Amino acid sequence: MGGWVGKIARINLSTGKISVEDLPQKTAVDYLGGRGLGARILYDEVGPSVEPYSPDNLLIFTTGPLTGTKAPSSSRFSVTTKSPLTGTILDSNCGGKAGLRLKDAGYDALIISGKAAKPVCIIVDEKGIKIQDAGQLWGKDVNETTDILLGQAANPLTASVACIGPAGENLVRFAAVINDKSKAVGRGGVGAVMGSKNLKAVVTSGESKQIAADQETLDFIVYEARKVIKQSPITSIGLPTYGTSALVRVMDMMGAFPSYNFTESIFEHLNDISGEMLREKLFIKQKACWGCPIGCKRETKTANGTGEGPEYESLWALGPECGIHDLEAIADANYLCNRLGLDTISTGVTIGCAMELEKRGIADEGVRFGDAKSMLKAVGDIAYRRNHGDALAEGSRRMAEKHGAKEFAMQAKSMEFPAYEPRAMGVQGLSFATSNRGGCHLRGNMLGPEMLGVPKIVDHSGATGTVGLLIYHQHISAAFDSLGVCKFAGFAVSDELLARMMTAITGIEFVPQNLHHAGERIWNLERLYNLREGFTSKDDTLPKRLMEEPLKDGPAKGRVVKLAPQLEEYYRYRGWDANGVPKKEKLKQLGLEA
Amino acid sequence: MSMLEEFQRIGRDLFLSGLVSSHGGNMSVRMGDRVLITHRGSQLGQITEEDVVETGLFDNDSGIMLASSETPVHRTIYMQTSGLAIVHAHPKVAVALSLFEDEIIPIDNEGSYLLHKVPVIASEIASGTAMAGIVAESLQKYKITMVRGHGCFAIGQVLEEAYQWVSCLEESALVIYYSRTLGGQMKEFRKNADQYKKW
Ligand code: SF4
Repeated sequence: MGGWVGKIARINLSTGKISVEDLPQKTAVDYLGGRGLGARILYDEVGPSVEPYSPDNLLIFTTGPLTGTKAPSSSRFSVTTKSPLTGTILDSNCGGKAGLRLKDAGYDALIISGKAAKPVCIIVDEKGIKIQDAGQLWGKDVNETTDILLGQAANPLTASVACIGPAGENLVRFAAVINDKSKAVGRGGVGAVMGSKNLKAVVTSGESKQIAADQETLDFIVYEARKVIKQSPITSIGLPTYGTSALVRVMDMMGAFPSYNFTESIFEHLNDISGEMLREKLFIKQKACWGCPIGCKRETKTANGTGEGPEYESLWALGPECGIHDLEAIADANYLCNRLGLDTISTGVTIGCAMELEKRGIADEGVRFGDAKSMLKAVGDIAYRRNHGDALAEGSRRMAEKHGAKEFAMQAKSMEFPAYEPRAMGVQGLSFATSNRGGCHLRGNMLGPEMLGVPKIVDHSGATGTVGLLIYHQHISAAFDSLGVCKFAGFAVSDELLARMMTAITGIEFVPQNLHHAGERIWNLERLYNLREGFTSKDDTLPKRLMEEPLKDGPAKGRVVKLAPQLEEYYRYRGWDANGVPKKEKLKQLGLEA
Repeated sequence: MSMLEEFQRIGRDLFLSGLVSSHGGNMSVRMGDRVLITHRGSQLGQITEEDVVETGLFDNDSGIMLASSETPVHRTIYMQTSGLAIVHAHPKVAVALSLFEDEIIPIDNEGSYLLHKVPVIASEIASGTAMAGIVAESLQKYKITMVRGHGCFAIGQVLEEAYQWVSCLEESALVIYYSRTLGGQMKEFRKNADQYKKW
């Protein structure tokens, strides 16, 4: 059978025990892999009594059936755990090579439990799995750690290092795992959970050997998929030329580009930080994740160094969100976040929140709107929990709450928002409020239909009818994350093409509806997880600002998010009761009944 | 744009481009457990507020008295696919082709690229439960399906997307018709032309 290897490895860091078990085919088909498989395992094995930093919490690396195959943009893998930032189920997705090398080594997933007595790393290759001392690596940044471990690999060309930096070691609640030096498993604190287990790195190696059940058909479908990628101006011009920062100007034009901690929806210094300016000033060369014909990554330089990025979200979070328009400083902060192992979005938005508290005279955490120097210093302090950094390392909600000012934290379920002003969009606010891992755009982004016209432009004034579209996107996003394919490919590649690739690779017939159904099953399972943790419909909410303070300026002037009626429609549409609990019939339909 | 305006815009275009006759065809959108669907016997080219009616997706209510006679087909499609909008039209050339073919395989560039292949299914009664099941099953795999001698059903995330598949199908059918009329040996330009049949 192509697609899945059929093996899962378990590693207990407390006991050193390593075992391998089969991946049941039904689980594979029902949950696909990646995010879906991680959710199933976490739901079954990590209950409400387990604290995120407890040895009993799991850190689960999963690949999808398309990871590392000929399917375009298919290097993705997921890391699933209980989040120390949100307390919800969390999976974070990444385009580095760690996942495909894991599959090449012979495993669909690694389930890591326990806590090592001293710092270790896990080495996975075709010969097996071992736990190795990492005492000399503890305290080192991501680049140093990666270089040392690659230097020790039998073949650095087929090895990949996913590691934490000082932020993960110091349990910063939004610490990331960084793969291949620059690709972040970014959101929700997966790096902190890894740090809590004394696990510095996971090194995976293997020679590519992904097979397909029907190679000839796969070649044809892949050819067709690459054709649509070439045909779309988003995936063939916008993203390759400007990277994701192509969105800066687009979002500002729509009045949906938040700045100054969401007190503005446009940015007065836009030209200084646009995708065009980034290309002109910092660009060295275009880069791509493994097997990706789009290539939205870019190598850049500043006076102080070189690195990858900044991506749209990072550029925004460390820039306009903090009132900063010094592009070099933003890029430097982005490089620093990668080296220290920090999620750029949560880092920037937490700092932005602290800046607003300072401006309002509520608290002084050492940062000022527009002051790039104080922002850069804060990034370092957060990773080492130095000075004010200790409070900021808790994330915006906890930091603001400490000062009695929770309403200024731009987050849902404690996860900081990305670069979309929900008041200027139809149901993006609803998307943030209902996301199972907290305020994020990657669980069902309305950017496509509301802003870019994919598949067609829809009314983004919040008119009725778009709630269903959001749910559609939530399901298909869950499928992308579970298959191991980048969601940017989804701007061109349809569910139909994905289903046909799945059929050709696995030999099991998949139709688009199977992917939507699996996406819905995954979404509901994640919801059940959060309900079991004690979350309720009251947590499906947004900061007061977004619901009560009309936008002051820009094309969306005067608008607020009308969340309550949208939420009601959303629950009904999903077959959930008025409290946001899936009804029995829905669970039965999805095969999730207890 | 409001939902009514969207119905009006697509309805008018369907009629003006000859994809439906004066009172033919119908359209709907899914709103959770409700369906907004064109009125039975309405003129798609002249939709007014009264021509878009609301009824249940899973259960009947009095709205069914007014709704299109093909409502059961729309409901079944919504229950079995991820479609959020449906356009049912009677594209003439595609209907003619469906009387001779078991599948329509476009030979023009756009049709090949967007549709690859459109299956043709057979059912004499346009609104029967049996047909609803076959159409819905086909739409799980294809975004547009022909019912022999009758018309097509297309699904999309929004009405405009479903309309695009209909329009694209008719253009492809027209190109097939013209090229057959011209006769001679077609010069193939698609790299994997022989694979489309397997789509
Ligand atoms: S589109 Fe960008 S992020 Fe996605 S796989 Fe390609 S290079 Fe990586």
